[in-house]
Amino acid sequence: MIGGGAAGTPMVLSRFAVRLALALAGALGLSLGIAACSPSGPEIAIAAGSENKVLEPLVQEFCKSRGAKCGFNYQGSLDIGFGLKSATAPLQADVVWPAASIWIDLFDENRKVKHLASVSQSPVILGVRKSKAEALGWTRDEVTTADIVAAVEKGDLKFLMSSATQSNSGAGAYLAMLTTAVGKGDVLTSGDLSSPDVRQKARALLAGVERSSGSSGWLGDLFLDQDKRGVRYDAMWNYEAVLKETNDALVARRSEPLWLVYPKDGVAVSDGPIGYLDRGRGKDVESFVLDLQKFLASAEIRKRIAATGRRLPLGAGDNAPPVADWNFDPSRPITAVRPPEPKVIWDALNLYQEALRLPSLSALCLDVSGSMEGEGIRQLHEAASFLFTPQTTRALLVQWSAEDRIIAIPFSSVPGKAEQGTGVPADQDRLKAWGLQLRAGGGTDMYSCARSALQAMAADLGTGRFLPAIVIMTDGQSQGSPESFLRDWRQDGHRVPVFGITFGDADRSQLERLASETGGRIFDGRSGLVEAFRAVRGYN
Amino acid sequence: MAISRRTLGLGLLGFSAAATGAALYGRSNPLIRGYLGETTKLSGFIGGEKERFVADPDVVTALRRRAGLELDARRAGSIEMARERAILDQKPQFLWPSSSVVVDLARASGVKIRRDQVILNSPIVVYSWDNVAKGLVAGGFAKADGDLRYRLDLSALLGAILQNKRWSDIGVPGLYGNARLISTDPNRSNSGFMLVGLAANLLGGGVATSATPATIGEQVATIFARMGYKPSSSGKMFEDYLAGGPGAQPLIVGYENQLVEWVLEDEARWRRLEAAAPAKPVILYPEPTVFSAHPLIAVDDQAGALIEALMTPEVQEIAWTKHGFRGPLGIAGESGNPLVKDRILPRIDAVIPMPDFHTMLALIDRLA
Repeated sequence: MIGGGAAGTPMVLSRFAVRLALALAGALGLSLGIAACSPSGPEIAIAAGSENKVLEPLVQEFCKSRGAKCGFNYQGSLDIGFGLKSATAPLQADVVWPAASIWIDLFDENRKVKHLASVSQSPVILGVRKSKAEALGWTRDEVTTADIVAAVEKGDLKFLMSSATQSNSGAGAYLAMLTTAVGKGDVLTSGDLSSPDVRQKARALLAGVERSSGSSGWLGDLFLDQDKRGVRYDAMWNYEAVLKETNDALVARRSEPLWLVYPKDGVAVSDGPIGYLDRGRGKDVESFVLDLQKFLASAEIRKRIAATGRRLPLGAGDNAPPVADWNFDPSRPITAVRPPEPKVIWDALNLYQEALRLPSLSALCLDVSGSMEGEGIRQLHEAASFLFTPQTTRALLVQWSAEDRIIAIPFSSVPGKAEQGTGVPADQDRLKAWGLQLRAGGGTDMYSCARSALQAMAADLGTGRFLPAIVIMTDGQSQGSPESFLRDWRQDGHRVPVFGITFGDADRSQLERLASETGGRIFDGRSGLVEAFRAVRGYN
Repeated sequence: MAISRRTLGLGLLGFSAAATGAALYGRSNPLIRGYLGETTKLSGFIGGEKERFVADPDVVTALRRRAGLELDARRAGSIEMARERAILDQKPQFLWPSSSVVVDLARASGVKIRRDQVILNSPIVVYSWDNVAKGLVAGGFAKADGDLRYRLDLSALLGAILQNKRWSDIGVPGLYGNARLISTDPNRSNSGFMLVGLAANLLGGGVATSATPATIGEQVATIFARMGYKPSSSGKMFEDYLAGGPGAQPLIVGYENQLVEWVLEDEARWRRLEAAAPAKPVILYPEPTVFSAHPLIAVDDQAGALIEALMTPEVQEIAWTKHGFRGPLGIAGESGNPLVKDRILPRIDAVIPMPDFHTMLALIDRLA
């Protein structure tokens, strides 16, 4: 990530360079694009939601024209919010670009974000395999949230949805479901959250979650990747624009597209705002951000933004044309669910994490081989201390619930004895104490650890009541063979995704193999194990 | 005449002192600094509805040329800028909220006010969409005044919200759920704060005072509870309204100048929208309404010069012609852009004063 150290002299130089470049460009009648060669522009750090990835090239075009070096760090909207609020680990960014401005409003207590302006909008809706939508009668009639609940309860529908506590689209879909489940056409209140009936409906809906994630962009990729491998998920909650991207790819490979369902009783809408985070880098950086906003609001760029399926601000130009075959129409008026008061949002998110979501079944394979000696084991202790201290996990909305199952297995050349528990305080204390006494020594075989993880999970997997995941944290080259694990995994019915956390000199390709085969993901733990373990918690 | 050495010496000393003094005066006078090409930077907080005005290059130039001032203005809600420690601890040199009541509020928070002066005015209005407004007319909640502007019976509308009426009950088909009017958070931002005062006045049948019955406060609290999430800034709220359309933002509270400013900012955009948009923004004038004054609070001596600069005819003219702010007396400026002329009321006669500061505090404390 780009730090704030670029302020000062380089900035002065950059301004001079930009002016010089502009003057030359003007004199020679060249376009800004050619003046881009100046290598000494400002370094700009951008914290953005993953759904903005597709717009990064537009931003980079602008950065290039200014000779600026723009670094994107993709984070969940709630992460960006936590960073804005944190006094100890403040967000290292000059530009914030979360999925929705509500998170800035809730977290930016010191009002450090200026000039916040929406780039484009996209509602969070449900994309359903067209044949499934036809079978459910949803291609003929308008669909309400009650219809979706009914389909899930009958076992007719499962879906992918990002974590409500880690990602804006998940939070939006969840809050919209809760609000419409209350059914009184009013905003959600604290009273509604304690109603057994509302909880029951929400739990019933969330029982339809087949896979979760900390990022909506990644969820879209997962859908496509698994489709290629023959895994046909029924449906996915995601942004209208991400569903369009997904469909474009599905159609290109002649796979069945998703039918877009816009629940008529209301959906959440993302307003994708971009703002300047003032951390004292001065006017040059501020005007750079303002110019970037102007660039993104220019007619030419807006046309390109609209082409991605995002909705443009009122009067700003034409949205993408509708596609009747998928029921996609970014000009269709939608009913937005009114978000509740901040306290209710917070309570609802905690309720999701602690009671309503499908419980997670997590096996953690922790590398304690000899190479972990020193810094590695110190960070592992720190991570265990974070993961198993309810106050710290709760502050970042990744707390374990009493229903969750945790299986922690240390491994070197062979797996060690597993420690098991749930989110209840006594279990958490025990798991923490266990984690803090881990010592390094021996070789590395992550595959055998993954196999024993699968065995330890078998009984709970059979119930179908859990979202499973195997998380492998390793710092080296593993002996053994991936096939030994993948054979077991296939026999088990392909149910458990494997996530990797790299540390030290880990061989990323080995983890990559397992993650891509099983629909998991790799997290880079080299800049901090705590952060990597926190991030992976959003995926089951 | 012979001048003694002593006299000459004293004279020179006097001259040099005077010259130094003049030079020092010049340096400390923003006007002279402005002419010298030097600027005094002032940092402070402004209500979101003035963000575009403050960023307007014409305003920036006028402040720099005429007063040698350069502003670092951050957006904050008018109420929070007068109360939140996180904001006041940043030692702002000026505050520019959107209500005169906020001046008392800031004083009560211990802000040392050097000077305060109302710079601009704008009435509180309700923004909606032509299709929603037509429904409200059919339902008997509004009257059309010409083709493009409406007068709103806010009292009746608040009554319907209190009775949990659905949109379809009040004449507006096609919207799902209960009727609601959204404002900003009254504990942070002024347009919400002013709606609290206006609602208390309307529900109580006169300007609310500390003697107004508690039941009125409860009704006001119900109206605000039904809004759910309330943004912290009027500027952001208005952007959300434009972006969201009638499905997301059927009725919101704002300042009259906001639409005017938005139309004037990009006339081509407005013409396109008038020609093609499925729903078009309209202003509903509550009868009676309250006026939002925009007093500049100088916390630092240097901010006094900002007041002078903002009160010049040049800046006041920009405020009206480009941003739709009425002057300190609430009267519309002379020139009127044809695009907005028929959408705004030239004179607003039905105005009710805001309740006093203590009554307001008691009312918004219930909503925190």
